[in-house]
Amino acid sequence: MIVFKTYWKILKKNLPLVILYTVLLIGFAASNIKTNEKNLNFVANKPDVLLINDDEGGEITDHLIGYLKEHTELSLSTVPEEDQINDALFYRDINYVIYIPKNYSHDFLERNAPEIKVKSTGDYQASLAEMILSRYLNLATIYQKTAPDPLEFMRALDQTLAQTVEIQMTSPLDVNQLTKATSYYNFASYSILACLIFIVSLILNHFNQQNVRKRRLISQMSDKKHNRFLLLANSLYALTIWFVYVALSFLLVGDIMFSPHGVIYIINALMLTLCATSIAFFIGTLVKNPNAISGIVNVIALGSSFLCGAFVPMEWLPESVLTIAHAIPTFYYIKTNEMLKTLESFHLDALKPFLMNQLILLGFTVLFMIFTQIVSKRDKKNWIIHLIIGTFQ
Amino acid sequence: MKTMINVEHLTKQYKEVLAVDDLSFQVDEGEIVGLLGPNGSGKSTTINCMLSLLNFDRGTIKLFNKEMKPDAYDLKAKIGVIFQEVAVFEELTVYENIDYFCGLYIKDKSIRKQAVEEAIQLVGLEDYKKFYPKKLSGGLLRRLNIACGIAHRPTLIFLDEPTVAVDPQSRNHILDGIKQLRKNGATIVYTTHYMEEVEQLCDRVIILDKGKIIAMGTTDELKANTQIAEKVILEIHELDLEAIQKIKDLKNVADVRYNAPNLVVTYKTGKNNLVEMIDYLKTSPLHYTTIYSQRPTLNDVFLELTGKELRD
Amino acid sequence: MIKMHHFNYALKMLLKDKMLIFWTFAFPIILGTFFNLAFSNIENSEKLKVIPIALVQDEELKTNPIFKTAFDALSMPDSEHQLFQTHYTTEKKAKELLAEGEIIGYLQLKNQTPSLTFNTNGINETIFQFVTEEITQKSHVIHQLIEKEMSKQQTLDINPEQIYEDVLALVNEEQVMLTDISSEHLSYTQIEFYTLIAMTCLYGGTLSMIAVNRILANMSAQGKRTAISPTKKQTLLLSHLLACYLVQLLGLALLFLYTRFVLNVDYGNHIGFILLLALIGSFCGLSLGMAVGVLFKTTENVKIGILISVTMLGCFLSGMMGITMKYLVDTRLPLLNQLNPASMITDGFYSLYYYETFERYWANIFHLLLVSIVLIGVSIFCLRRQKYDCI
Repeated sequence: MIVFKTYWKILKKNLPLVILYTVLLIGFAASNIKTNEKNLNFVANKPDVLLINDDEGGEITDHLIGYLKEHTELSLSTVPEEDQINDALFYRDINYVIYIPKNYSHDFLERNAPEIKVKSTGDYQASLAEMILSRYLNLATIYQKTAPDPLEFMRALDQTLAQTVEIQMTSPLDVNQLTKATSYYNFASYSILACLIFIVSLILNHFNQQNVRKRRLISQMSDKKHNRFLLLANSLYALTIWFVYVALSFLLVGDIMFSPHGVIYIINALMLTLCATSIAFFIGTLVKNPNAISGIVNVIALGSSFLCGAFVPMEWLPESVLTIAHAIPTFYYIKTNEMLKTLESFHLDALKPFLMNQLILLGFTVLFMIFTQIVSKRDKKNWIIHLIIGTFQ
Repeated sequence: MKTMINVEHLTKQYKEVLAVDDLSFQVDEGEIVGLLGPNGSGKSTTINCMLSLLNFDRGTIKLFNKEMKPDAYDLKAKIGVIFQEVAVFEELTVYENIDYFCGLYIKDKSIRKQAVEEAIQLVGLEDYKKFYPKKLSGGLLRRLNIACGIAHRPTLIFLDEPTVAVDPQSRNHILDGIKQLRKNGATIVYTTHYMEEVEQLCDRVIILDKGKIIAMGTTDELKANTQIAEKVILEIHELDLEAIQKIKDLKNVADVRYNAPNLVVTYKTGKNNLVEMIDYLKTSPLHYTTIYSQRPTLNDVFLELTGKELRD
Repeated sequence: MIKMHHFNYALKMLLKDKMLIFWTFAFPIILGTFFNLAFSNIENSEKLKVIPIALVQDEELKTNPIFKTAFDALSMPDSEHQLFQTHYTTEKKAKELLAEGEIIGYLQLKNQTPSLTFNTNGINETIFQFVTEEITQKSHVIHQLIEKEMSKQQTLDINPEQIYEDVLALVNEEQVMLTDISSEHLSYTQIEFYTLIAMTCLYGGTLSMIAVNRILANMSAQGKRTAISPTKKQTLLLSHLLACYLVQLLGLALLFLYTRFVLNVDYGNHIGFILLLALIGSFCGLSLGMAVGVLFKTTENVKIGILISVTMLGCFLSGMMGITMKYLVDTRLPLLNQLNPASMITDGFYSLYYYETFERYWANIFHLLLVSIVLIGVSIFCLRRQKYDCI
């Protein structure tokens, strides 16, 4: 019981940090909530476009706005707040800005081919926005040349733009929700690693300190029994963290968590939790200075998160980084989450790579357990030698 | 003779607890005065008030015949304090620690160097100058703590339990050091709950309990004032209530306490108490292994005044 | 007045503390390296890449050469305009390719109407759809125009080939006049490194917090010694804080040099402004640490916990874990980021990098100074107390 009591005391003292990591996770998930509706049909990607209109009431301009509203997330403004526009572009809140000059409609009809100024973030959303704008302008110019009457050519333009293609979807997956779940669980790897390694290694360190250890070795409680208690307490803590984060995912991600996909997310998180606990045991046994632990935890948690794609999607990481990441357990956890985004059927063949990843995680868990044993054995030997020398001095 | 410390009607209350209750006393130049009392009796609080570290509710405190205030820097320069807790920096060596704190008092480099060396010698840390505190044993650490407090050659020194949890060798070193300081002319206020130290060291004793002075005077005066003249202590392994009552009824006996196997018989007055006891034992069926007589100690004084032991 | 004696020892103590050295010097550099590894590719990944698609090759496609011509033109390898990598296969094979993720979708003509098959929603799918639509529309325009020209010219010397050529020339003429006026400095990953600088500035508060702890009687036993000495604690504190500031700036300088010359972070070209921002940012960290040291009466470890939490939360709000957060707070809760030193430091660097003018920079400097002065003011007010009710 004394083990649990001490455990709780140390945990309580460091609870604010555990809460901090959890708050970061919630904050991250909350800032990621954008689209929430369930969507199984094809939705075109709509870039965010801002149109600064200096040609209010111009018929061509109005027609263009109508067209852009259909194909982009368009916001309109007449007064250009350049600083706000620049900020919005920099932070990718908008992808593309279109400046319609004064008398644009008039000049256009006069065949002056007026110039339009644009600002672009240069990413693919911006490229798409530019394609959308160019298409309109190209067609409009053609019609303007062949049918000078504005009403007539706009009708013809509408007709042409109405030509669409038929789209079929093969996948029944709710991509939106799966993407959200994946990014939640990816970020959770950071919180899980940080919370577990920090607390567990701090506690092991406490119990392994020379004087506490000495007192224990002379007490009635056997080493084995004591270790079993410690393992139990730590597992309890680890499972609590896992449970809380899974429960949070049900709140923050949505009903996809009730599907078979959700089950795999949850199992995967459990495997990572076990692996993190094992790593924590290793660090707690290896590191003798309790002050060093917070530094090590940060380096490990942040390092593995950055290298394996917990914060930045895996597909955007450079090849070289991903190669290094293969040596880190988190990589296999995140890879599972990423693969879940496109997993359609649950037959054995499709699940094989998932099983493989879980096995690798398990392998890491066992590996770190063995490391812990080796370090702990070495320490014990040294300790007994110290004791013997001490008595003869 | 000059009065170094003059405390009048000092009262200090922490939220619920009355820590110091209407305390008044004086300390003269060259004296070693012991502040004796169990844990929580208000010794440290009194010292902290005298040093202007703590606010107090009532009373006046004069050191060197001047009122002690937080900005009384001229007074502070002449005071040295050794606190209960070890107050040194882990990042500095033994020498650097003493030099750091001495530097708060002595600006001149060469004078300071000499003062630091002297302090090191006084506590016997010559071999450990370059050690970091982490590498020192508890006793050595205490000695370093003392050196940090007295390196600037203060004339009024407060020692707050400097020997708690210290090995005998270091303790002797510390006590010798204190005697040396007195020889150099310092006035010393010494806080402890070890009465042996007080008896060995102090000219005068102030006994505190629950924030009040319950006795004050030289050790001999205090002992003379007690009801107890002598104690006879026996080792007896079996004793029943009836036998105890019989001993109680003996001549001059004030009290009898039996805490197996020790039987302590206290006497109000009288001579030859030990002989009379032996005579009585000859006539009784009691079997004792040892018997000896003892003069009253400060602990007895304290016990009599408060009904409890100094060391709890 | 600063005494060299105190200053030297203060410096020595700071440099001897391995934990402090780790957090001030090593940790930001390690984190910066992680940022670099993770973000070096991100902006390139967001640029349009060649999209793998398939066209189902059957009789219908042959009768509609415009699709093949158009997609061939857009699939020219190594061309500036290459958008697609196109496979021509059977429907069965296309399905397989799609299932294996080799292509993102395929086009099939059904009764002269193009039909697209996709696996999911996404930007690549949208572009494929968009291009197909454009081709359809162009062919529609061509038909329309040719018909119109034909009906116009009722005369005998009708030359269908000539009309066709004319219409094509008209349609394919590049007429769009778009002028890009966006700034070159659009690399938002720079923000990550700015938040890193902000973090280092604020972590520096740990130094001044520990210094305060060392000097205050109600915080440490060592502080009690100081309080009973004839040295004024203001004098001593000043020496210690100066040492802290120096160590802090040293750590910052190392980080700055490392990120600038090893990781190639772009801080803009106004070196004087950068230095000023670094000086004031560190000063704000110093005052934060001082305030935490003075205001909270608890153990050093808890105070470090408070400082780390405040710093991490501040950095989170200024975009360290995702720059969207900063923009969100900047636009929705601007006051929060005007109180958040991490955000002001980040924004100061951002304005130097992105803006031509300096108003925003000065506003950040002003806010930073304001926050620092308030924190220092509160600390000094509490420090003036000489006696304590409880130690």
